[in-house]
Amino acid sequence: MSTRPLPYAAHPLLLRRWVRQHPRLVLAGLIALLGAILAWQLTRPGAPFGPQDSTWRRVQINRDLYVGMDPSYPPFAVWTPEQIVGIEADLAREIGQRLGVQTHILIMGFDSLYDALYTGMVDMVIAGLHPNQALTEWVYYSQPYFDAGQVLVSPVSAPINNMRDLDGKTLAVEMASAGDQAAQRWTRRLRSLTVQRFLLPQEAMQAVAEGLAAAALVDTISAYQYLAQHPELRLADRTSVAAPYVIAMRKANFRLTAEVERALKAIKSDGTLDAILARWLTGS
Amino acid sequence: MPPSGGGRTIPRRCVSLDLSATMKTWQLSLARQQAPRGLRLLALLGLAYGLFTIRPAPARVVLGPPQTVQTINPTVCVHTRLTDEVEEWKIQRTLQLVREMGAATIVEFFPWPYIERERGSYDWEHADRIMRHAQNQGLTVLARLGLVPDWARPPVQEKVTTLTYLPYERFEDFARFVGAFVERYGERLGGVIIWNEPNLSYEWGDRGPDPEAYTELLRLSYQAAHAANPRVLVLGGALAPTTEPEGSGSGMNEMRFLERMYQAGAAPYFDALAAHTYGFTAAPSDPPDPTTINFRRVELLRAVMERYGDGDKPVYITESGWSDDPRWTRAVRPGQRIAYTLEALDMATAWPWVERLCLWQFRQPADTFNRRDAYYALVSSDFVIKPIYEAVQAYARGWPIPYVP
Repeated sequence: MSTRPLPYAAHPLLLRRWVRQHPRLVLAGLIALLGAILAWQLTRPGAPFGPQDSTWRRVQINRDLYVGMDPSYPPFAVWTPEQIVGIEADLAREIGQRLGVQTHILIMGFDSLYDALYTGMVDMVIAGLHPNQALTEWVYYSQPYFDAGQVLVSPVSAPINNMRDLDGKTLAVEMASAGDQAAQRWTRRLRSLTVQRFLLPQEAMQAVAEGLAAAALVDTISAYQYLAQHPELRLADRTSVAAPYVIAMRKANFRLTAEVERALKAIKSDGTLDAILARWLTGS
Repeated sequence: MPPSGGGRTIPRRCVSLDLSATMKTWQLSLARQQAPRGLRLLALLGLAYGLFTIRPAPARVVLGPPQTVQTINPTVCVHTRLTDEVEEWKIQRTLQLVREMGAATIVEFFPWPYIERERGSYDWEHADRIMRHAQNQGLTVLARLGLVPDWARPPVQEKVTTLTYLPYERFEDFARFVGAFVERYGERLGGVIIWNEPNLSYEWGDRGPDPEAYTELLRLSYQAAHAANPRVLVLGGALAPTTEPEGSGSGMNEMRFLERMYQAGAAPYFDALAAHTYGFTAAPSDPPDPTTINFRRVELLRAVMERYGDGDKPVYITESGWSDDPRWTRAVRPGQRIAYTLEALDMATAWPWVERLCLWQFRQPADTFNRRDAYYALVSSDFVIKPIYEAVQAYARGWPIPYVP
């Protein structure tokens, strides 16, 4: 009966013996490994022999940042005789300021934005974009700066934060909206949910204010604007149907994307983004 | 050592065409448990080629038994966008959904340059595919014909032109194409629409709109179409709603354009008027006004027809609808879109002079780069049915409307 020898790796003593018996082979292996690590380090993005972020270099040298925007979307981007204003314009300028560069907003039709980004006409696009899976091969999408999805609006005196809390209650929705479609799904998940449809989101929220519905599921922008005039109502902590707005950049611009992400994180954490949103959505 | 005697030498490194000798070598090698090196290399290359070129089989599209459209309202029509649809199953799926919605008629664009890429040589493959599936679904096709092939435009060294630039000396070539199209599809056609929005400079080769020239194009096309099939319906106009005054660089008010067409003698050269009418943010009941673009503006076009004694001709609204793009200031909310669309369909059905109201648009091949059109669509690019589709379906088929406030 023949016994198969154990692999060297299976027994430390045998492995040690093998290493002692083949010193040159071991040395060659170690050199090859070190060489591979060195090559990997030197050819990483940004390393001396790796791909460079030429856009970031240009931004650093010229101290400028070109942002593509479609200024036909109040209150996010609006074209006034003086300049482009709105949430996205303020955000673009704030990012530029944090990066220590001058922001230049280039205005273009919505359908040209990705082409402008692809061809290098702009460094980033801020235009209420949702992440598009089909473009992620070359487009980098930032963390969201706004969620334009569907949010629950309820009375301050009887807050509702979650769709599950609506069992046995009436929900007001804007007819045929994403909120309406979500509500139809929830009628099958809850024991009892009455969905009341209204033509406009304002009418749905009015029903809540009048006590005809426990909550309204409407889009965040309409909700913010309505609540500015109705302090007796409140928004849920988070959206029930998400629709995040993100910044698009070229994936190849790894330094720029990292710096913008860092700036955006700071803008969010220090309350600057909330202040911008409040200024344009509620007028406060 | 080379073999001696009468046997032929077959070098081991070559692949010989002498099969018997090759087989012999192979058998010998098999006996030695080793294939000839050349064959092994060939097999390896073949395997590598197979691995790199292997593709899943394309989706098999089976036509299936002929269908009919179930509808109680033949006015309902949609503008499809199948010209740029590459995959056949998507063409079929689109037309199935149109049929299931209860629209008996579609408007589809058949660009001249796609079909007659070289003068006198027609490639009907894609047009045939669309027509075949439309017929199978029981749909009537109103074919919108337009754009200009490269060979019919001036050379770029001489003049830079757009795809809508049709030189006057090429009108007869276009008419010949119209005749060929009508001849090919004959009774399967609901009609042909001659050109698109000629009252916009953008659609007229970035030139000032020219109603007299368009009338000439219409005359030639009408004659060619009727020579091919005397029963074919020729739709003229496809006029865009615009408030641009005469002499504007970007367009001409469609009422004035139509007046000048009549003055140029267009009346005998179209069987029906094609018109585009959009509501933007206004409800369909918004009264017609020459200074405003709204749905009932089409009544002003009708008034021009009656004024010129052409009131017996029907009007086909070949583009209409509302957008629910949340970021467009000229759009409405999704619920309003449904309410307005159904109201517009009611109005069009009640107007005895309107034959069809075609909603722009059913679905587009890709939503990524055309946001505005994406929000006019009834079905998304990936075939997700929107509430507006369900509402129009219920309307067309006489079901209870699923979306009521």
